[in-house]
Amino acid sequence: MTNLLSYTHFPVYSIMVLFLGAFLVVIAGKSKALRHIFAICAVTASLACLIALIKPVMIDGEVIAYWMGAREPAGGYAIGIALEVDALSLFFGLLIATAVFVSCCYSITYMRFDENVSQYYTLFLMLSGGVIGLVLSGDLFNMFIMVEILTFAAVALTAFRNKAHGALEAAFKYLVVGCIGSTCILAGTIMLYAQARTLNFAQLSAFIPGNFNTSTIIAFALLYIGFSTKAFIVPFHPLAADAHGAAPASISVLISGVLTKSGIYGIIRLTYFLFQSMALGKMQFLLVFIGSVSMFVCVTMALAQHDFKRLLAFHSISQIGYVLTACGLCTALGISAGLYHAMNHTLFKGLLFLAAGAVLQQTGTTDLNKLGGLSKRMPHTTVLFLIGAFSISGIPPFNGFASKWMVYQATYQKAVESGNIGFLFATIIALITSVLTLASFVKVSQSVFFGQLPEEYKDVKEVPFGMRFAMGIFAVLCIVTGLFRELVTHYLTEPAARAVFDVGKYINSMLGDGYASAVMGANAPVRTEVVFDMAGTWQPIHWLLLLCILLLAITLVALLGRYDTVSENKAALAEGKFDIFFGGEESVPSQVGGGDLFWGFKHNWRHYFSFMHDLHSGIVNDYALWAIVALALAMLYMLIVL
Amino acid sequence: MILFNYIASFFLIVLGFYCIVTKYNAVKTVIGLSIADYGVNLLIISIGFNPGGTAPIYTWGELNPSSFFVDPIPQALTLTSIVIGACTTAMSLALVIKLKESYGTLDTREIRRLNG
Repeated sequence: MTNLLSYTHFPVYSIMVLFLGAFLVVIAGKSKALRHIFAICAVTASLACLIALIKPVMIDGEVIAYWMGAREPAGGYAIGIALEVDALSLFFGLLIATAVFVSCCYSITYMRFDENVSQYYTLFLMLSGGVIGLVLSGDLFNMFIMVEILTFAAVALTAFRNKAHGALEAAFKYLVVGCIGSTCILAGTIMLYAQARTLNFAQLSAFIPGNFNTSTIIAFALLYIGFSTKAFIVPFHPLAADAHGAAPASISVLISGVLTKSGIYGIIRLTYFLFQSMALGKMQFLLVFIGSVSMFVCVTMALAQHDFKRLLAFHSISQIGYVLTACGLCTALGISAGLYHAMNHTLFKGLLFLAAGAVLQQTGTTDLNKLGGLSKRMPHTTVLFLIGAFSISGIPPFNGFASKWMVYQATYQKAVESGNIGFLFATIIALITSVLTLASFVKVSQSVFFGQLPEEYKDVKEVPFGMRFAMGIFAVLCIVTGLFRELVTHYLTEPAARAVFDVGKYINSMLGDGYASAVMGANAPVRTEVVFDMAGTWQPIHWLLLLCILLLAITLVALLGRYDTVSENKAALAEGKFDIFFGGEESVPSQVGGGDLFWGFKHNWRHYFSFMHDLHSGIVNDYALWAIVALALAMLYMLIVL
Repeated sequence: MILFNYIASFFLIVLGFYCIVTKYNAVKTVIGLSIADYGVNLLIISIGFNPGGTAPIYTWGELNPSSFFVDPIPQALTLTSIVIGACTTAMSLALVIKLKESYGTLDTREIRRLNG
């Protein structure tokens, strides 16, 4: 009997407690307090188990291979079901567990008026368990099971407030396209099994790279599309927008911060580990291209939205585009930047969705054209929202700046190193996207928190402490990860990036030393020395000072230069000479609506926007068609390049 | 003989996808999902099949290198996959019922309040 408290058991505990919690919540029945205690205990225990693994995995660089029921591999064949935790898995696991913990804290106050809350917590914990199981799994079929669990839980939770506008519709679309994705994953899994006769990741990683044939390549395309539907990257972004808009805010946090991450994790595992195909320029092109398209398309879609949560949803996918672009570069800096941005995305996006949830709960709407001036009534929420908005727009010293800077640097470095001008376009698109993101958050904060307070929201109050506390955790993390970049990169992203470039170790720790070189011969992956010089050479505080000085200078110049003209016109203004003529009617102050702040820009781009609007028709058949066309194109592309 | 299974399974998957894309009735969409699922199940079971193999039921002592049996793992996978397929169907039909209640129609072209 091995010691049950040894850290090698922690991965399985962190998954188990969540599923156990899901059942205990049902047993708790009508008792509210008991239900909350079970839920909070489960998520805290899961987070604690993963935090305890930081020491051995992140710092000592160990890879934990855990065989369920102690069924060790025999004769070079993996028989049992395995969990394998390397730095990459743990990085995503920690992200997910943190987001789940904060979301659970928020739910306690946020969901207090809903019916059937006990089912809510069951599904919530199933979803969390599914995602953590997915990232810690060392087995392809196990991963498929976890994908199905999390898809079902996410669909049910999207439709949880089934009286809300569009909730059922969003859930149905998500289910149909999500199931196409799951079918693809299963078909891909079984086609790999037919070739390799194993489902174990490590063994597959040793087998596939030397055995590329039509069957494995089609399996690759199937798995890639399957994980794309989970990451909601183009062309699956409309589903994310629908699901986020309709789901409760605490679930939007999970869909945006957690589900998309599981898709990105799947793509990284698939391309860097199973197929080890990322050294090919054509594969890098594919990921960078899809990432850049996701960035740009989604940020422009977001500009045209006038629903708070739908807008945030499009931004969420736009940020995932950054992550995918950076991860597709196949450089240490790129992976490091991508993972850093993935982490920051979970934090600031979570914060923004929770703020949107707070606004929805207090006012009953998320329509940007109806809201306004809430900063006077909800000052704390406003400050928290602004922290999130600054972070996502990449303003120093918040975390978005740190990771976006690394993404620009990584794409530019790649362009210089490879001499390929295409990567420079990725840098430019990333910069433009960042500007458009800022523009769009100026619009949101103007139309929700500033401007004029509509008559009907005069009595709006601040949200309860529980919700502000949850948002506060995210806000503090946003600032901390922005200011202490060295610590974050040293303890979290760099070990994870090293793990990505050390496939041999991943295989060997699972199946015994020397397995990789024995099976793969000369093709065995050698550990690439990962160099992080130049990574993020900048000082957020200096940039902040520069920004402040520039702002002060501009303000000063503006004040000095215009002082006289203002005083001259005062007399004329008082006469009413320059007043706007309303045809005799009394002038009424009017709020610039959420959709109208950038009307000039939108007018100039009206052909593009109306084209995009018509394209996102909202008909499930169209989205299914996109999925299948994407699958066909992916198969074709991969058959040609691999 | 087994080739026919492979052709049939891919035919079923493609048929299912075709049904999802072209049929505008929500119930037919669900049927399409199921058909694609059956196709994958057929594929899995065909991959594990060894012509002339026996059932994979052995005790530890009986097992020797000359034993010839069908691969048991795909069979286990198929069972799981069938269960998941049933869940998909149940869940999507539940949603379809709710959709019919609130939208008054099953036509997917009219279930598009969220667009653009």
